[in-house]
Amino acid sequence: MLIEVGHFALVLSLVISVLLIVVPSIGLYQNKSSLAQLAKPLVWAQSFWITIAFFVLMSAFLTNDFSVKYVAENSNTQLPILYKASAVWGSHEGSLLLWVFVLSLWTVAVSIFSKRIPSNLINQTLIVLGAISFGFLLFLLFTSNPFERLMMPPIEGRELNPLLQDFGLAVHPPMLYMGYVGLAVPFAFVLSALIRGQLDSTWIRWTRPWTLISWSFLTIGITLGSWWAYYELGWGGWWFWDPVENASFMPWLVATALIHSLSVSEKRGAFKQWTVLLAIGGFSLSLLGTFLVRSGVLTSVHAFATDPTRGLFILIFLFIVIGGSLVLYTWRSSLLQQSNPFSLLSRETGLLINNILLVTAMLSVLLGTLYPLILDSLNLGKISVGAPYFNAVFVPIMIPGVLALAVYPYVRWKKDSALRVFNLLKLEWVCIVLLTLLSWVLITKNIFVLISIALFIWVINHVGALFLRRLKAKSKLSMSFLGMVVAHLGIAVFVLGATVTTQLGIEKDIKMSLGETQTIAGYDFVFNGVSPHSKDNYSGFIGDISVFKNNKIVTQLRPEKRLYQTGMPMTEASIDPSITRDLYVALGESLEEGAWSVRIYYKPLVRWIWLGGLMIALGALLAAVDRRYLMRVKS
Amino acid sequence: MLILSCLFIVWFLYRPIKSGLSDADSNIAINKHRQEELAIDINQGLIDDEQSQVAESEIISTLANELKDSNKDSIAIRPMNWSISIFIFLISLSIALYSQLSPKVLPSSQDLSEPVSMIESIEKLQAFLEENPSDFQALKMMGLAQIGIGNADESIEAFEKAYLINPEDIDLLLQYASAIAATQEGQFDGKSKELIEKAFNLNPLSVQVLYFSGIVAAHEGNLNGAIEFWEKARYLTPVDHPDRNIIEEAIDTVSNLQVK
Repeated sequence: MLIEVGHFALVLSLVISVLLIVVPSIGLYQNKSSLAQLAKPLVWAQSFWITIAFFVLMSAFLTNDFSVKYVAENSNTQLPILYKASAVWGSHEGSLLLWVFVLSLWTVAVSIFSKRIPSNLINQTLIVLGAISFGFLLFLLFTSNPFERLMMPPIEGRELNPLLQDFGLAVHPPMLYMGYVGLAVPFAFVLSALIRGQLDSTWIRWTRPWTLISWSFLTIGITLGSWWAYYELGWGGWWFWDPVENASFMPWLVATALIHSLSVSEKRGAFKQWTVLLAIGGFSLSLLGTFLVRSGVLTSVHAFATDPTRGLFILIFLFIVIGGSLVLYTWRSSLLQQSNPFSLLSRETGLLINNILLVTAMLSVLLGTLYPLILDSLNLGKISVGAPYFNAVFVPIMIPGVLALAVYPYVRWKKDSALRVFNLLKLEWVCIVLLTLLSWVLITKNIFVLISIALFIWVINHVGALFLRRLKAKSKLSMSFLGMVVAHLGIAVFVLGATVTTQLGIEKDIKMSLGETQTIAGYDFVFNGVSPHSKDNYSGFIGDISVFKNNKIVTQLRPEKRLYQTGMPMTEASIDPSITRDLYVALGESLEEGAWSVRIYYKPLVRWIWLGGLMIALGALLAAVDRRYLMRVKS
Repeated sequence: MLILSCLFIVWFLYRPIKSGLSDADSNIAINKHRQEELAIDINQGLIDDEQSQVAESEIISTLANELKDSNKDSIAIRPMNWSISIFIFLISLSIALYSQLSPKVLPSSQDLSEPVSMIESIEKLQAFLEENPSDFQALKMMGLAQIGIGNADESIEAFEKAYLINPEDIDLLLQYASAIAATQEGQFDGKSKELIEKAFNLNPLSVQVLYFSGIVAAHEGNLNGAIEFWEKARYLTPVDHPDRNIIEEAIDTVSNLQVK
């Protein structure tokens, strides 16, 4: 009975979303405020039923209700309780329900935190969000119903993909979806402004905090995904330029451009057209990501062709969203013509350069992601575009971006002179050159590491000096400024961590016999053997490796080799983490006479990658609670 | 659920949420704030004096453009008419959609708790398949149930229909192959062999597929090949898994044959 309640709740929320699109729209266009004001209650009612549906599905997992096909295919009685709960989004249908659930949370948040926003704008925005929700509910119910029943329920369910039986994967998708779906909010604000033909200061101001919050979640989601891949996949990588990763990275790049473009539109009234296009682009890319991940097209374009319903639905939805938005944009473009002028050397130019670099970087990732799929679909052969392409194209585009982000906060709005900026920063630049030379003499001769150290010093020096100048001048530090400082420092931390771990990391794939010692980066790894090991829903082997440095024990590592009920073998790496380096061991295959193949990694500064990511996200959250977004407005 | 939703929505038709800010109020407040921010920027040297005057005039002209006369009086509605319309729409569309989407036969609590006989199961499945002749899972179950009571031909018929719907389901391929083998005195040759080979190509790491591939090899007299398949299956099976005994037994049997 409970399952039927969940199913009916989804149907009800679909019907309510139709009401949300129709009734308040009539109210807005016929100036009947009682109907227009119905947008908020309709959003609350819709979200309530979606929440019910979500938790009904979760309860089906927790109570092992295998009469639900989705539960039977993704869970069994032996699965630990945390993974039973997270199995809700372990496969296609449930993750789509999570998408809709997260969208409903965002919509409710917009309806609640909207006291400072004009009623007509907020009602129109809720209507647009309702329309997006309608599209996804339709998709969910007609092609991917998570409440589909099995007429003869099995006694036991199947195994959840062992890769997903992990804490990182329990929290990574909700965070990523919060970011992905959150980009619907700036999109809805922009579309509302276009529909109403009211492209004023209000929509720009209120689009920015929502963009910052969703961007922050997207950053956390991507960071968690990278961290999970590092420790779970067993080969120590933190980013693979995999199409699924790229699908989340592309909206992130565009959203980064959007928050910078919004800051110019908000303060100086420039870049309005650009801002509108970025908001449309950000959400369109998050839909494209959903299409790539959910249509089966990534496995093979032919997989998409054999089961076209789902992919085709998202593709049509994607065309409606992008096409409809661009038609609206063209229709209203005359209202976006006004743009306040600025000179070649000004802060506006700096932010424009940042935007161009970010969008170019996104296009290079898009090309690398879609090109193999296009070739495959045209039967022109299968090619794989991997890290060499992305590193060669993406990294050179981003280096000038990192250089610019440190200098442009010193440049004045509208117009500045190069001489003034030079005089202001010459001491910092001398200091940077000296520190870089010192690093070359004392730390490394590796050119890539040296470049990353120079970039790190460049950003830290500029941002730190800017912060100290503001403190000295006793000017009030806004949350927006603090957010910028923290996020830009985060970029520096990330760049250093990523380069050092890639360039100076050591990796050994070796055979180890009982009692054998291997020395890596000054650490002695002693192999003490392997013993059988079993837990709830898997059995396997656990290794025992002691690590010494200068004959003193550093840590005891216990990598695992697991065999789940499906027969899928899994490697669980054992890691000794620290802020300066990680020691990482993964167990390979059993060899003759008690020997095992073992992979040992030394990863310097690898934690800085995720620390940088978290700092960037924190910076965005700080900027989102700036005073200007909390000001009281009297009607 | 329907009544609750209707009452909730209609409540707000009779007691609408008060309109908040107007566009003009919001734009005035925001542009005032922009002027304050400009003053801060001037103090911090983020814009020079000459340009700040240009920026100030831009803010004022922006506000002037944004202030439109939008003070139209709201038109009153008849809440009763709207309430009835919403009631009818919500109830009729929800019920129509749900009846379209919900399964025609639900697994009852009895299905889950009390075992039913194989004959009863087949009757239920037949009734279900009359309404849903293309239900893959039901066809698969029908094939299993028929072979369970010894009706190999009916079982093959059901599996063949399921195979036409989804020819890449590993479980189906193995069950279908077993059903065919049952009509060939247990011999996995011809179509049953092809089905197992297809399953192997689709998932060479499945324990079940490896087990059946071993049987095919053994029937062909390739005892070393059979042992190789089963060794792989044993490696992939957890130590305390019940299937492990079956695999080990098969390995022992064939190894003994080789010794003899």
